[in-house]
Amino acid sequence: MILRRNAAAGSGDTSRAGGRLLSLEGERSLRDRLLARDEQALVELIDVATPWLLGITQSMLSDPDEAEEVVQEAFTILWNRVDLLDANASGLIPWLLRITRNRAIDRLRARRRQRGKAQRLESLGALGDPSVRPVEPDEAARPGWHVHESVHAALRALPEDQLAAVRLAYFEGYTQSEIAERLGIPLGTVKTRLRLAFDKLRGTLAPLKEWVI
Amino acid sequence: MNPHEWFVVHRTEFVIRTLEPGDERTFAEHLPGCAECREEIGRIEHDLAWLPMGASPAVPRPGLKRRLLEGALGSPVRRWRWTSQWPAIIGIAASLLLGLGLYAREHARSETLTRQVAQLDAALRGAQDTLSIIRGASRVLQASFTMDGHNGGMTIFADSHSHRWNVVVHGLPAAPAGEVYQFWFICDNGMIRGVTVHLDEKTPAFMTLPMPEAGGTVLGAALTVELDANTAPEPQGKTLAHLML
Repeated sequence: MILRRNAAAGSGDTSRAGGRLLSLEGERSLRDRLLARDEQALVELIDVATPWLLGITQSMLSDPDEAEEVVQEAFTILWNRVDLLDANASGLIPWLLRITRNRAIDRLRARRRQRGKAQRLESLGALGDPSVRPVEPDEAARPGWHVHESVHAALRALPEDQLAAVRLAYFEGYTQSEIAERLGIPLGTVKTRLRLAFDKLRGTLAPLKEWVI
Repeated sequence: MNPHEWFVVHRTEFVIRTLEPGDERTFAEHLPGCAECREEIGRIEHDLAWLPMGASPAVPRPGLKRRLLEGALGSPVRRWRWTSQWPAIIGIAASLLLGLGLYAREHARSETLTRQVAQLDAALRGAQDTLSIIRGASRVLQASFTMDGHNGGMTIFADSHSHRWNVVVHGLPAAPAGEVYQFWFICDNGMIRGVTVHLDEKTPAFMTLPMPEAGGTVLGAALTVELDANTAPEPQGKTLAHLML
């Protein structure tokens, strides 16, 4: 799901890809309206952000119902703590993404505590990507698609072993020791791979913040 | 590695949440007291802000948007709420109308009762006043008479304190057609026309009369039968009673 090899995955030239999630002005306006408790602003944000929030939650939880519940929690947090938006410098969508991912990780870990990790891994099968679905023809026009392509390109640029660790760590919510167990490699190796990978990702993705909103 | 170096090394792991739960708690507890780590954590979060969008977008299932809105707002969205609450709105309106109707009815009833209470109160005060004259009367005068076979009489309770009289006339039939029973004050300057007395055989006439302003000192009273059209200052008809103080 994360590193889907398909024709829609572009070269990383973000200028030619689909629409932006929100323009800088649009995000500022949306933020102001949310602060003013404008319900229509919430509707617009849900329209734009939900596909991406569902993407990360379904990737991590592999359960559509639970994924929707997490997205629901994120929007509820945003609406109830909209005052925090002013203090958050990284932007509206990144803030929502972070909240959503953190909530998904919390659920994942609670679930794993209950079921046991091995059982869960068996039920999911292999490392592969069971929830991959065909790319829709108009998906490239989806707002934010160019960001996805940029992140996708940055991930594809990682060595395969680092990518596997990142996928388990970031998109499936495993801890380092769980990854070590899952991949059958020493914990120190996992740490090294993750550190190298995220150093590269920071360097690659950091410029996104300059133009993405 | 000094204690702080451990935090420096594990900042990225903390941000991406790959630390073991115990280590994560340790890091979280360290953050409030370490501005350097907070700042660097902020930078890492900023750099990786869009990384979650590496996951492919998912198509929301039908109805999810409405559920998300309802969940965030803590109530059904407006359109749904409006239609679903029609029964409640109609119920409230009906209750309001019923309440207004009941209020109007009770208000009218209340006004009627208020009027009745006022009337009873006035009657009571009148009765008390009458009784006070009777009980405080300095003189009681009584005369009996016969008219057309009917035995009647007139009684006067004279209250010298309030300068009022209670006058009771009883036993007379209604006045003949074209005539009236006329009450007169006998004063030292002559007769002063008082009230017309309306009678029937069954019910005595009961009057509370102040003393006349003209005519001087009141010496007594008389009851006569006068022609209805007669406005003469002196009695012209038959005298039924004549009482002197």
